[in-house]
Amino acid sequence: MHNLSVYQWPLPEGKNGQQAVEILQKRVEQLGATKTGTFCVDCETYQSSLGPNAPTKNVFLVHNTEHPATTFAVLESGLVLVADSLLDIFMLKLNGAYNLKKNANIESKGQRYEQMDFVIKIGSVSIGPSFKGILVEVEYQPCDIPASCFDLMREFMQGFIGPSVQLPPQLVAAKIAEPYTPKDTVQQYLDHFNSLRRTTAAGPPTRMQ
Amino acid sequence: MAESLSSVLPILPAKEYYLQGSIHDAAKDILLHRLRGLCDCTESEPESFHDHEMVYVIRGVGIGGVQQMPITVRASQSLEHPEEPWHLRYVGNPEASGTGVDRSKSAMVRTCIDVGTSDDLIIFLQELGFRLDFEYVTKGYMFRKGRMKVTVSKVFRVVQPGKTDSIEPMSLSCLVELSLTAPAGQDAVADDMKTFAEQLKPLVQLEKIDTRRLQSI
Amino acid sequence: MNAKMATSVDVSLEALAENQIQEISLDGHEIYVQPISMSESLTKLAQRIDFTKMEEEGKELKSVAANETEEGDDEAKSAFKQETWPWDSVHTKLRHSLTEASVLLDVLNIAKEKRYMLLDPIQQEPPESRMFTQVLGKKKALNNAAQILQHGSERLRKSDNLYHSSAPAFQMELLNVRRNWRLKKVANSILGDLSYKSAGSRFRQNGTFEVLENKEMEEGAGGHDTTPGSAGQQHAGRRSSLHVAIPSHLQGASYIYVSIQKDTDSLASANLTIPSHPTDPLAGETHWQKKLEAAQNVLFCKELFSQLAREAVQLKPPIPHMVIGNQITATLFPGIQLFIGLCHSNDQDRSTEPQQQQQQQQRQKSEHNHILEHSLHQLLREMHTANISLPMPHPSTAMLGASKRRRLAGPHAFSRASLLQLIEGKSLLEQIIEQAQHTVLRIRSTNVLDSIAMQCRDPQIVIHWNALSDATHAAMKLNITSQGYETICRTSLAIHIHTTSVRVIYRDGRIVKLSHEPHELTNVLLGVVSVHNISALQSLSKLMSWQILSTCMNLGVGEVEALGNASAVVMASPSGERVLAIKSGPISGVRVYVQGLPGNTSSDASTLETR
Repeated sequence: MHNLSVYQWPLPEGKNGQQAVEILQKRVEQLGATKTGTFCVDCETYQSSLGPNAPTKNVFLVHNTEHPATTFAVLESGLVLVADSLLDIFMLKLNGAYNLKKNANIESKGQRYEQMDFVIKIGSVSIGPSFKGILVEVEYQPCDIPASCFDLMREFMQGFIGPSVQLPPQLVAAKIAEPYTPKDTVQQYLDHFNSLRRTTAAGPPTRMQ
Repeated sequence: MAESLSSVLPILPAKEYYLQGSIHDAAKDILLHRLRGLCDCTESEPESFHDHEMVYVIRGVGIGGVQQMPITVRASQSLEHPEEPWHLRYVGNPEASGTGVDRSKSAMVRTCIDVGTSDDLIIFLQELGFRLDFEYVTKGYMFRKGRMKVTVSKVFRVVQPGKTDSIEPMSLSCLVELSLTAPAGQDAVADDMKTFAEQLKPLVQLEKIDTRRLQSI
Repeated sequence: MNAKMATSVDVSLEALAENQIQEISLDGHEIYVQPISMSESLTKLAQRIDFTKMEEEGKELKSVAANETEEGDDEAKSAFKQETWPWDSVHTKLRHSLTEASVLLDVLNIAKEKRYMLLDPIQQEPPESRMFTQVLGKKKALNNAAQILQHGSERLRKSDNLYHSSAPAFQMELLNVRRNWRLKKVANSILGDLSYKSAGSRFRQNGTFEVLENKEMEEGAGGHDTTPGSAGQQHAGRRSSLHVAIPSHLQGASYIYVSIQKDTDSLASANLTIPSHPTDPLAGETHWQKKLEAAQNVLFCKELFSQLAREAVQLKPPIPHMVIGNQITATLFPGIQLFIGLCHSNDQDRSTEPQQQQQQQQRQKSEHNHILEHSLHQLLREMHTANISLPMPHPSTAMLGASKRRRLAGPHAFSRASLLQLIEGKSLLEQIIEQAQHTVLRIRSTNVLDSIAMQCRDPQIVIHWNALSDATHAAMKLNITSQGYETICRTSLAIHIHTTSVRVIYRDGRIVKLSHEPHELTNVLLGVVSVHNISALQSLSKLMSWQILSTCMNLGVGEVEALGNASAVVMASPSGERVLAIKSGPISGVRVYVQGLPGNTSSDASTLETR
């Protein structure tokens, strides 16, 4: 029972990632949110090796500390397989057909806040040691139909993200009347990861949804 | 919180110790009675099962077009309990120590990885490039004795691919399997299994079967 | 020998001048052993040849054999060939067997023709007969057999006697033991298992006992056999032919005592004797069933206590639990403590330990709580059941030993919170503490309610306890009525007693949550009673057609109540000549003020009614 949106927060002028995160954290704390530990969403990539004729396929294994017993396997077609966390070891057994892509692990890691029914997560995205951007996740727990609570969420989010938040993320907008599932969260993160991978931290921050 | 959660998270990685045998249909009921007496939870009726198992295979190609060894995985689903998660299973080859080569071990050993998944497993495997090798339906009963699992199952051939209601039995016998998953290195459990298997004699002879030899016949 | 075997005529077979005398008849006639004929001698010698002997054993023998059979002369040659390739030996052996088979075939063919060769039955040389040794041997064998038979018949008779006599035989007893206990035979001894392992226990201590035949019993039975009499039968009837050897740590009797105590009680020291325990001091004569039950109970209590002690150390409550020796102390509420102790009195060890004495004192001081003890037993058994009654996996290949919700957790992406719920199993100690807290709270609340109901005469307080309750939750209904007007005005309250809190539910749905302190409940009830007085007045005034001028549930004027708020009603008489003002406060009680007609300046009369 939750509905959740992930936004990328553009870096303010002249600030580095750490400072930007601190600015956001301060804003959230001023709203009265309390710290409730840390969170981490990470993604490993497996690449197929099925011969020269077969197209190269990628499988993304996403872990979310909110679902500690679960591994999400996402295909490029958008199919999300929700499985036990043992899937990680299973994928290693496919070595030869699918191989772990080295240095492609991307993760969003940071502080988790709670304010009443809202959960806010401010994560800094990094691939290995290099910082890629900031992702803000806002979750409204009591409701899982985005259509019926997005206005409320927007109002809340504008309070600390700024007026840039107008529309729900594309993925949420696409099925705004359907119940939200953890798969959608993973998909949102993955979309952001894929676009952040292409950018460099120094480059102009683009607003993604 | 992490510590407390670790108790519910699965134990990695497991080895499966197993012994197999078969029994003729006519004698199956006697075996079931015997098992009811030997196993835990005797007060309840033996638990039945009805599963559909599909074996998928993929063959990787290394650098320079070298064909790799095919990798086999099993996807199974309970037809009696469709609400239960799909089960994706990787089963390794029997280890040399577990086959007939090494007489000192009491049971066969293989690596196994059990993953419960959501119900789009088949599409997932197909999209990954897996090819259906064969499929079958099993029906039977299972028992538990401590950490050991005993299944007495009848194997059915699926007449029309994908249709689990049109099936015909493979043989006039039932497959009896005694298995136990434990973290690697607990070889003592194999002896317990051996002791248990002894108690089922002469109804059924649970033995180490060298499947590689069977394949060469 | 070779010479003898040779078929040459030169060999004199008449070397012996005389034949052996077989017998001399009474008339002096000597009967000779007839000399064996040539062919007989040949067959006899041929019989001695071991054809199965390997040819490696000597070429000579082989050649002899070849001579004898007049066949196969070249078979030994290959044996001397160097082994050049790995299959050489097999090869040679195969060839040999082929040769031999061919030879055999040839022999058979020749024999069939009956022209060159005849097959004669070989006369066996009669074995040397020594009558004396034979007789001795036979005698001995017969003796042995007779002994076995006699022994067997003796045992049969004995067991038959035992069976018919009142004392059941060892085997019958054993059968009875087997019906109720787990037994197995190890080598020559019969071992049993008392432990609850098969019921799901994971307690390590072993509960092996041994079943022994009572030897004395056999003698007794023998005596009884010779002198059958009622006295002997009684004697035999009391004794069992079987006794069980129980490991020393499980002997004696034990129980878990549970008591709830107030801190203020001083732990006075006094000398107390060991209480009488269920086992007969003459342990040898106790029936095995009772003995085994007692031992199993000891094992169970030990498991229970060790489980509780482990939990007590692991749990981190604000006031830590104490585990000292055989006793666990846990604080329920400030000043109230729960003691759980393991009492184990051993038959052999009759000396009282000081600790045990202390326990006994405490037990004496505060009554042992049988209900809590029972729930402890129940809790452990529930734990056992939970250990073994995990659902079977589906599909059957899935891993064993996970609960259904756990199996769904991964594929359904359970959140952290719901996963934590999965493991949120309360430990035994926590549960028993909760139950004890509830017990304390319930007793306290009952005392409060009873004392108020006794003190408060005018509105009557009637308490209905719900018949259905569980170990941590009890509920009751409280009715407040005014005497004589029960149907006109009634205030109802529902009171729920939980482990550390009390909930009072008013009729209009208001809920008041109270802590464990008893005076809070007193305060609430006093307030309810004072409000009831006013509302009863209002109902009565309608009945008496008095006119209510004003009511106020929370009076802001007048002297301040020590607790809560006073409420008041002002009403005028039907004629309008008198006005009554009635004030009811939780502490101050009811006051009635009477006023005459305006203008009629009669003095205000005030009455004080005590509650």
